[in-house]
Amino acid sequence: MLRNTFGNRLGRARRLVVIFLFATLAPFLAAQTAGTGTLTGKVLDASGAPVANAKVTAVSADTGQAQTVTTGVDGVYRLALPPGNYGVKFEAAGFVTVEISSETVTASGTSVQDGNLAAYAQSNQQTTAKSPEKPTEPSLNDLGFPPDQTAGNAAAQARLDKRSHMLKIHQRLGLVTAGALVATLVLSNGAAGRNSTASGRELHAVVGGVTAGLYMTTAYFAIFAPKVAGTKTRGSIRLHKALAGIHGPGMILTPILGVLAYDQRNSGQKVHGIASAHGAVATVTGIAYGAAMLSVVFKF
Amino acid sequence: MNQRILAAFWLLAAPALFGGDGQWVLGQSTLSYHVSHPLHESVGVSHQARGKGVCHAGQCDFLIAAPVKSFDSNDSNRDLHMLQVTRGAQFPLVTVRVVVPETELTAATIQCDLEIQFAGQTAHYKQVPFQREAHGNEIRITGTIPTTISDFKIDPPSLLTMPIKNDIPVRVDMTWRPQ
Repeated sequence: MLRNTFGNRLGRARRLVVIFLFATLAPFLAAQTAGTGTLTGKVLDASGAPVANAKVTAVSADTGQAQTVTTGVDGVYRLALPPGNYGVKFEAAGFVTVEISSETVTASGTSVQDGNLAAYAQSNQQTTAKSPEKPTEPSLNDLGFPPDQTAGNAAAQARLDKRSHMLKIHQRLGLVTAGALVATLVLSNGAAGRNSTASGRELHAVVGGVTAGLYMTTAYFAIFAPKVAGTKTRGSIRLHKALAGIHGPGMILTPILGVLAYDQRNSGQKVHGIASAHGAVATVTGIAYGAAMLSVVFKF
Repeated sequence: MNQRILAAFWLLAAPALFGGDGQWVLGQSTLSYHVSHPLHESVGVSHQARGKGVCHAGQCDFLIAAPVKSFDSNDSNRDLHMLQVTRGAQFPLVTVRVVVPETELTAATIQCDLEIQFAGQTAHYKQVPFQREAHGNEIRITGTIPTTISDFKIDPPSLLTMPIKNDIPVRVDMTWRPQ
């Protein structure tokens, strides 16, 4: 059974790392012997599956006494220990042994800190994994990285994933919007000037409306993509954002001016007043939009 | 005659320069990855690598690690995207393990077998050549690791729906000193 559990993983021994969610819990159990704490947790492999029959050894830093227990089928272990500091070692066939240099067990009032413990586990996964065959090889602990640089953070990764996903949609919709924008500009020939016709204005208005809608949707995915705290905007994305400060208002103003111009033309008037700026505003907006696209494509 | 003198020098100097039962620590370092996209190329650089080497019983084990987020390409958007695709928040360090026979450490070109852990994956590279220069009691190691994104099962980042090329060679420039 044990061989079946780990046998298939032996070949991947160096690729698999025991990941454990290490929960320190020292409840003062009134029903049990006073002064005894509990060290408990779960041993998982890299895929998050529980590791059964893993050997967990706690060695008292004060007395040198060791206690060993094996995990159940759910990967959970539990050790009843006197309060104190312990070194804890996790071993399983086919996996790299993981050691924690110091873990405190207390006899009173300790809470479970799942979030921190997950990070702690990630940290130790990477910082204390040692190959027992090579006792002299350096470990990550020797390099002295601060914990915040070694601790994995699943929540932060999920945030990055969401950010990238939204920005990818932003990019793709941006391309579609660019196509619609070009089409709107081309169709403006039939909406203004000597070649202007009612149907031309209709078509230009409809395609322009679609473009504005696409633009707003595109902008949504950039504006509401999760921000990463502490990141200073650098590089071509600064120009990209600065240009958005031009084409953003332009994309709001252009349709408004277009509606005014449309109404004036359809009522037989010559386009006048603020509506006469429709073409100029649209042109500036289109140029700023194109430049914003180019800014992320080419280095300046 | 000169060759013999040179050989004798290396024989005597080797333990002091890069060998013996000693330990080494990474001083200055520059690690840079090179990304090629159909529209442009970019380079991400990190100077935050840390490393240690332990020589014992004729074998030297080196470990070098750098925070993934420390690689800087002068573009915050690109760096965040690279951090995402390489799962840098979940696996914040890239580590390189090198095992070299002590006898090879005095050669001008050192052939190294590397084990790289990155993005939650482990890849092995055989016989990667590194150039070695001695400067006083410091050793400068330079070379290029022929990494690819598929080695680490990374989905290729894309710009305007065009993905980057698979090759992301990592240029290494490290200075080691005895601890």
